[in-house]
Amino acid sequence: MNKASSPFGGTRRRHGVRLSVAIGSLITASVLLLSGCSSPGATASDTATSGSGAKVALTMMNNSRGSAPGLEALAAKYSKETGVTVTVDTPGPSAYLAKLQAAAQSDDMPDLYTAIAPSDLAPFIKAGWAMNLQSALDSGWSSDFTPSTIKLTTYAKGNSLGIPAGVYAAYWDTGVYGFFGDPAKAGYMAKTPPATMTDFIDGLSKKGGDNFSVAASLTPYLLQSYASNFMTDAQIDATLSGKASWQTDAWKKTFQLLVDLKKSGVISNSALPGGSTDSPDVEKSFFNTQNIAAMFDASWATAVQTTTAPDFTSYTTFVPPKAAGAKYSARAVVVPGKGALVNAKGKHTKEALAFLKWLTEPAQQKSFMKTTNGIPTSPKLLSSGAVSSGFAAGVSSGQVVTSPFTANVVSAIVADSQSLVLGEKTVDQVLSDVQAAQDKS
Amino acid sequence: MTTETLRVAARRPLKAPRSKTRRRQNLLGLLFLAPAIVLIGVFTIAPFGQAILLSFQSWDGISPDTPFIGVENYLTVFQDQTFWASMGNALVFAVIGLFVGGGLALVMAILVNNTKRAKAFFRTAFYLPGIFSVVVIGLMFSWMFDPKVGILNRILDGVGLGGLEHNWLGDPATALASVAAVFVWYHWGFAFILFLAGLQDIPSELYEAASLDGARIWAKFRYVTWPHLAPVTSIVTLLTLLAALQIFGTVQVLTGGGPGYHTMVPTLLIYNEAFTNHQYGVAAAMSVLFGGALVILSMVQLTITRRRARA
Repeated sequence: MNKASSPFGGTRRRHGVRLSVAIGSLITASVLLLSGCSSPGATASDTATSGSGAKVALTMMNNSRGSAPGLEALAAKYSKETGVTVTVDTPGPSAYLAKLQAAAQSDDMPDLYTAIAPSDLAPFIKAGWAMNLQSALDSGWSSDFTPSTIKLTTYAKGNSLGIPAGVYAAYWDTGVYGFFGDPAKAGYMAKTPPATMTDFIDGLSKKGGDNFSVAASLTPYLLQSYASNFMTDAQIDATLSGKASWQTDAWKKTFQLLVDLKKSGVISNSALPGGSTDSPDVEKSFFNTQNIAAMFDASWATAVQTTTAPDFTSYTTFVPPKAAGAKYSARAVVVPGKGALVNAKGKHTKEALAFLKWLTEPAQQKSFMKTTNGIPTSPKLLSSGAVSSGFAAGVSSGQVVTSPFTANVVSAIVADSQSLVLGEKTVDQVLSDVQAAQDKS
Repeated sequence: MTTETLRVAARRPLKAPRSKTRRRQNLLGLLFLAPAIVLIGVFTIAPFGQAILLSFQSWDGISPDTPFIGVENYLTVFQDQTFWASMGNALVFAVIGLFVGGGLALVMAILVNNTKRAKAFFRTAFYLPGIFSVVVIGLMFSWMFDPKVGILNRILDGVGLGGLEHNWLGDPATALASVAAVFVWYHWGFAFILFLAGLQDIPSELYEAASLDGARIWAKFRYVTWPHLAPVTSIVTLLTLLAALQIFGTVQVLTGGGPGYHTMVPTLLIYNEAFTNHQYGVAAAMSVLFGGALVILSMVQLTITRRRARA
């Protein structure tokens, strides 16, 4: 009897233990799940309170690894000066957008975050994650920026991205798109850049051709630069915002540039390089291996030369030369460069705005110039002669086109420009594709 | 007899509690399974359902508003020539990966299996590419394929075959094949290891018996090796097909889907649609269609394997 009851009693006990283990593991799994799905825990910014003079801790997400050391140094300096701690998180350019999106979706946005392409920022601004800086600029802050910078960063009413009118990002540097050339190899005089696009192409041709390159991802800017020969800024803006058609004579002449470059045999390897490293690959070909004589790129590319090819100083930079049959003078594409937005729903919006204002002061802009080779947005610095880049001239005479390319249009131009150069599509077909992409946006 | 009586007597009064015990055991089993069921439900089933739901909505990835737009996203995808071109490219990768990659892996596995020396070295060396990051592989091959300074063109030039120098990734005629070659190089080691393991499981007596029957190399392969490798081949086929159809990193780093859309694949297109164009609804619709195609393909493959096993 004892023997018989003992196993049953043992089974019951075992069942009891198993039941406890099962319930325990279920509770553990539930707790883990609930804690994972719950609202975010305390962040750095929660550790202090503002307004009462207590220390405030700000968080900033930064996309650029190149500017991270400079930004971190300035953040440390700001902390020393004001007692406000700024933690800079730099996930890198490829992970930045995904991380920012995850932060927005989990309601865990940083106090500040660096500006990227307007089409990428648009969803954040529309969802209320960016402070409208217009009133702060109107209260005197605008003196830290050139008027063209203010114009470029202002979203007008009815813009193509559907962003409410206002200014949402403050920039401490500007980018200018133009040509980099080695005069000796590209067939032009160092002191006088080619006067016309025909001269430029002829010079390259005479030197044997197969010596010019532009990354496929930068073709939209090459074409926008060249379009200024045939259109006013307002006309270009109207096309980019979807109010005017892409299928016009002016745009046909613009896209014809790629066909002319191909026909003259100057495009390196007879193709536009693509892939995620297309731009660095072209820069490597120009600055490092030096197997091309000229390239189209942004002013930031000079940083590649200073860091990887300091001895290569014989190159010059120039804004787009005039086209044959041009109606207007050619104007460079000027884009806002490095800058940041303030999280409008953050806990320390005042302190974050104060930090951003401090970052854009001339002294800090000068510091950025040294680390990133950017062209400052401060009129004081621009007029002081501190800017040595050949692109500086492009800033004053550059385009003021506030509507950016939509993501769909960029994808269409990038892919179709490659097809155009390969002779797979005609200019008309490409413009039809681009128009379809614009309509889809 | 006494023992049997006792057993029967013990069973009778226990009949009712036994069903209770069984229920209890079932409940206990379910409770043990519950954490796994909850985790799979939350992290696998729910996202899958969410993706299907999203494919009927319009969402930019940030906005709290996700309006239902019916089948509009699917109509967009059906009319998108790039999507169908990308599906075609994925199919090409699958065919090349399966026949070239699989064939190479099998041949090398047979050779290494018959090698007396340095078996471990070959096993390690051939599997090595698969352990590298796809980004590293992509960058490495983009340098190798560089038309001006790339090692491939340099070698061709060096051995007097300068006429074959090419813009491997920039020319539509060679771009897809070049990316596929990188894919094969990157993935064949895995299939090689599986084939090698399968070969080592074949009893040597079978080969000895075949030799006594006068079988030569081809006959041994046809009647001994190949039938015994059938289960491994099924797994290799399925995994290679899925890996090839889901190719992403290699294409993104090497060509970005270009020139034009000549190397575009569905996974990269879905990524671009979601993270570049912020059209998550369209991306979800593409994912549902592409994922559905993969599921059908896997089911067909498994059905064929089962039928072959029964036969």
